[in-house]
Amino acid sequence: MALISLKGITKSYQLGRTSVPALRGVELDVEAGEFTVVMGPSGSGKTTLLNIIGLLDRADAGSFKLDGEELAGRDFNDMAALRNRKIGFIFQSFNLIPVLDVRENIEFPCLLRKEDRTALRKRVELLAEEVGLTSVLKHRPDELSGGQRQRVAIARALVTQPEIVLADEPTANLDSGTSEQILQLMERLNASRGVTFLFSTHDPRIMKRARRVVLMADGKLVDGTAAAKAEVQGVSGLDHS
Amino acid sequence: MALRLLLVASVMNPLLSMALRNVLRNRRRTLITLAAVTIGVAAVGTIRGVLNGLQQSIVRGSIEGTLGAIQVHRTGYLANVLSTPLSLDFEADEALLGKVRSVKGVKAIAPRIQFAGSLTLSATEGNDAPEALFFGALAVDPLLEPKVCPQRSTFFTDGTVLDDTHVVLGDALAAAFGAKNGAEAILLAPDRDGSLNGELAFVGGAMRAIMPGEMKIAVVPLSLAQRLLRMDGRVTELAIAVDDLTQVVAIAEQLRVVLGPAYEVHTWEELAPERKTIMGIQNGVSAVVSGVFMMLMLLGVANTMLMSVLERTREVGTMMAVGLTRGSVLWLFLLEALVLGAMGAGGGFLLMSVITLGLASKGIHFTPPSATMAIEVIPFLTPGFTVVVLFIAMGGAVLFALYPAFRASRLRPVQALAGR
Ligand SMILES: Nc1ncnc2c1ncn2[C@@H]1O[C@H](COP(=O)(O)OP(=O)(O)OP(=O)(O)O)[C@@H](O)[C@H]1O
Ligand SMILES: [Mg+2]
Repeated sequence: MALISLKGITKSYQLGRTSVPALRGVELDVEAGEFTVVMGPSGSGKTTLLNIIGLLDRADAGSFKLDGEELAGRDFNDMAALRNRKIGFIFQSFNLIPVLDVRENIEFPCLLRKEDRTALRKRVELLAEEVGLTSVLKHRPDELSGGQRQRVAIARALVTQPEIVLADEPTANLDSGTSEQILQLMERLNASRGVTFLFSTHDPRIMKRARRVVLMADGKLVDGTAAAKAEVQGVSGLDHS
Repeated sequence: MALRLLLVASVMNPLLSMALRNVLRNRRRTLITLAAVTIGVAAVGTIRGVLNGLQQSIVRGSIEGTLGAIQVHRTGYLANVLSTPLSLDFEADEALLGKVRSVKGVKAIAPRIQFAGSLTLSATEGNDAPEALFFGALAVDPLLEPKVCPQRSTFFTDGTVLDDTHVVLGDALAAAFGAKNGAEAILLAPDRDGSLNGELAFVGGAMRAIMPGEMKIAVVPLSLAQRLLRMDGRVTELAIAVDDLTQVVAIAEQLRVVLGPAYEVHTWEELAPERKTIMGIQNGVSAVVSGVFMMLMLLGVANTMLMSVLERTREVGTMMAVGLTRGSVLWLFLLEALVLGAMGAGGGFLLMSVITLGLASKGIHFTPPSATMAIEVIPFLTPGFTVVVLFIAMGGAVLFALYPAFRASRLRPVQALAGR
């Protein structure tokens, strides 16, 4: 059984009196432990899709199962609790909480859990070591480089041991060298911890590293890694000419 | 102290710790808001402190200047004082005084007679045939009276003598006669049977009217009045001082029990109900002014909180994305308001203490409109009022932050993340 299963997901935004369709019947299965990249031109619906999978937003119609559990149509508090338990987020602009230091930022999702503090500390320290933040645990986000900030965000996404980590263009604000490191880190975590990653990107280099690429166009998916890769390469080839 | 408490609590509660740091984040805005709360709280406290001092000085003036804390008369005296001021008299003997003294809390007793008479002075330069003038007199025991009304003599002009042969004239009366100290004065008064008697006395000095409109008055020695009125050993009034003014009602009650139905006992508040009305009006006005101050400063807090919510929309989105509940977001902002309120209240408390103590150390001296002499006001704060004001500052800050905090808690995560 797929970890994530989307069927017939539609979503439109209301802009004044006109309705802008963002997703027009998305079908997608993601297996546990996959490292999946959603690619597609701007406005194709990547963010909208990730928001729905991340339980930040609701689809207008369709079925969304996580671990076999139907999640479409849950209310806000349910969604918040599910997000906290099952989903990790990595954002394009890091979205760290400026008044908290690195350790507190990583701990933040566990803040309101009734959890053993020492166990949490231990887990945070291990994670920090794994993402290379041990030396800056006491620093505030504004004292960190972009790459370090995104590492904090990755650690924060993983601290709750979620079923899936969603990353909407996680390297868009990073230079290419740093992007590379962040990608390697996520790959390593995917391999070592078996964390399922789903991201969106414009960046063809990321696509090349992904084991599975899903192409989005006009609110729909074109699955099949080979086909998608070919198509994207075609598109990017056009871009380069 | 409030801040210390917050710091301790913030270690325990991560949300409070975040709230504290968020308050310190925008230093300038926080300082401005804190200044508003501090000044508001201090202003409210200072107004109340000065009013406390003023009212205390008015009450003291009443009690220690004229009334005494409690007065005892024959039953019916106050109701009939105009028609039969002397008929309802009584023997101020040891049996009666002993009963009064037996009541716990009674500090001193001063026997008095209030009566009306006329007064003629011997001829002076420029006034060779003075007419007799009517006056209202209070006969007091020169030795016992100061124990009950120590402030009475502050109304006397310098050098005034009040003893068994000297009378003190109200300044209007003294001016009318052009009276000099030591001049002979002839007092005439009808006794309770209606026959007119006269006594010779000397002018001991003058006194300012205590209340406006008290024009023709005089204080005369009790023994002289008793001879004049043929009321040997008898008085119409006992003025009583008590150890503790807050106990005055209970002491009056006890006196009623001890003295029985033949006597009526009144506290100073019952004797001067208009004082209470005036203080009630003062309290009302100051409450309204204070309410406006508090309102303005709390609107400042509300504004700060609203700005804070608006500029942290994305942060709220992030917190919600990683699973913070709406309730926690609400709490976070309410706690921020509480921190602001507590810090402002703490500052306000310090400032109002400094101002009030500063004013109290010097005392404020002024002459109220329609008063005849300057009074000294020593501002002071009561713990009860102070606690209420600090509580309103903190509670109000939270209350006024409800709307911004609620707004934050109702943000939709997707839109908040997009900064909308
Ligand atoms: N809040 C919104 N209100 C109205 N229309 C929206 C909103 N968000 C997205 N859209 C529209 O929905 C469509 C999909 O947008 P979405 O942000 O999901 O695309 P995307 O693939 O993430 O684009 P990008 O690569 O630029 O981030 C677009 O046409 C966009 O204009
Ligand atoms: Mg996008």
